[in-house]
Amino acid sequence: MKTSKRVSWILLTMAIVTIIFAPPRLSAQTATAKSSSGNGASGAVQWSVQVDKVNPGDVDIEPAFRVAIYENLVDELGKTKRFQQVFRDSDRTTSAVPNLLILKTTVQKYTAGSETRRAVTTVSGATKLTVRSQLCTRGGQVILERTVDGNVRFLGSNLRATHNLARNVAKTIKQSAVPEPSLSVPAQGAQ
Amino acid sequence: MNRTVVPWQHTPDAHFLIPRRVLACLILFILCSVAALAQNASQPTNLTAPFSARVTHLLGFEGAPTNTNGTLSIQDSVLQFQNGGKPAVEVKIASVQNVFLGEQSKQVGGLPMTLGKAAAPYGGGRVVSLFAHKKYDALTLEYVDANGGIHGAIFQLNKGQGEILRNELVAKGVRVSQSEDAATKQSTAEVPSENK
Repeated sequence: MKTSKRVSWILLTMAIVTIIFAPPRLSAQTATAKSSSGNGASGAVQWSVQVDKVNPGDVDIEPAFRVAIYENLVDELGKTKRFQQVFRDSDRTTSAVPNLLILKTTVQKYTAGSETRRAVTTVSGATKLTVRSQLCTRGGQVILERTVDGNVRFLGSNLRATHNLARNVAKTIKQSAVPEPSLSVPAQGAQ
Repeated sequence: MNRTVVPWQHTPDAHFLIPRRVLACLILFILCSVAALAQNASQPTNLTAPFSARVTHLLGFEGAPTNTNGTLSIQDSVLQFQNGGKPAVEVKIASVQNVFLGEQSKQVGGLPMTLGKAAAPYGGGRVVSLFAHKKYDALTLEYVDANGGIHGAIFQLNKGQGEILRNELVAKGVRVSQSEDAATKQSTAEVPSENK
């Protein structure tokens, strides 16, 4: 009877140890795999990116939100280290950059929230943003297109949605496979 | 005897009643004139002195840390943001391409207040949240750097100051976007609307 209890205790302890330690290892492996596959820095040639101003599309979005999305995109793309350089819209120095991608952002959906409503009700008043992000070559060839969203549901100001959105866009681009610059030289030469 | 006493006692009251009324009128007049003088005195200083206001830099003004308080001022042809003792960051007004004015409603008190509200029992924090919000002006600027790259900066000002700053910038030749009016009407925070 005592032996069976001991065995069951040992088994239980082992199970707990497995549960505690196994997931971090797995997630660490995933993270390594992602960073090795997603990081384009392994090759000698790296893309640079120019962030275009945010196109509001048909959506009536406030200028502050457009500007905040644009600024946060420039910041977050710089943090990914996926690109050699991050340029702003209308930057004259981009004419001398050989491998340049252009990030076009179009707002698809915008729900203006309220910080007060979030604080009072918790469940309503969320600020929601959905955009379509396109990475294009100079010739206009779209090499990556994704729909990304960014929300503020609980804590934080409304403009925090733009930060979350930009971070999601940067994360999506970082994890996506983009062709090497040398492969798309004809597309650049088209301009 | 009585005839002489009664008027003697009443005359001082009657005598002082008129000066009291006059005194009250005088005080009212003086208060009104002081208020008028104060208004007149404040107007010329606003017109002559360069604009300066306490603002919160939310993001985008190159070289200035985000979410910091400081002083935004217009000096000659330069828009300057000064954060405490740190060197001022400035942008030429000529490089400002667009200015937009919006409105924000934010919860006051920051993180300590948020934690306090969360800790309050029986949903007391929610009741506090209902009243602990304040409206601000959000001034958005679009300007270009030396390479022609477009920057955007957002400042949070006390209610009413945003319009003064915008008017100052417009007077110095900055363009106000056509879509601004519509955007101003639709408040950032308080109007929930879904656009598809």
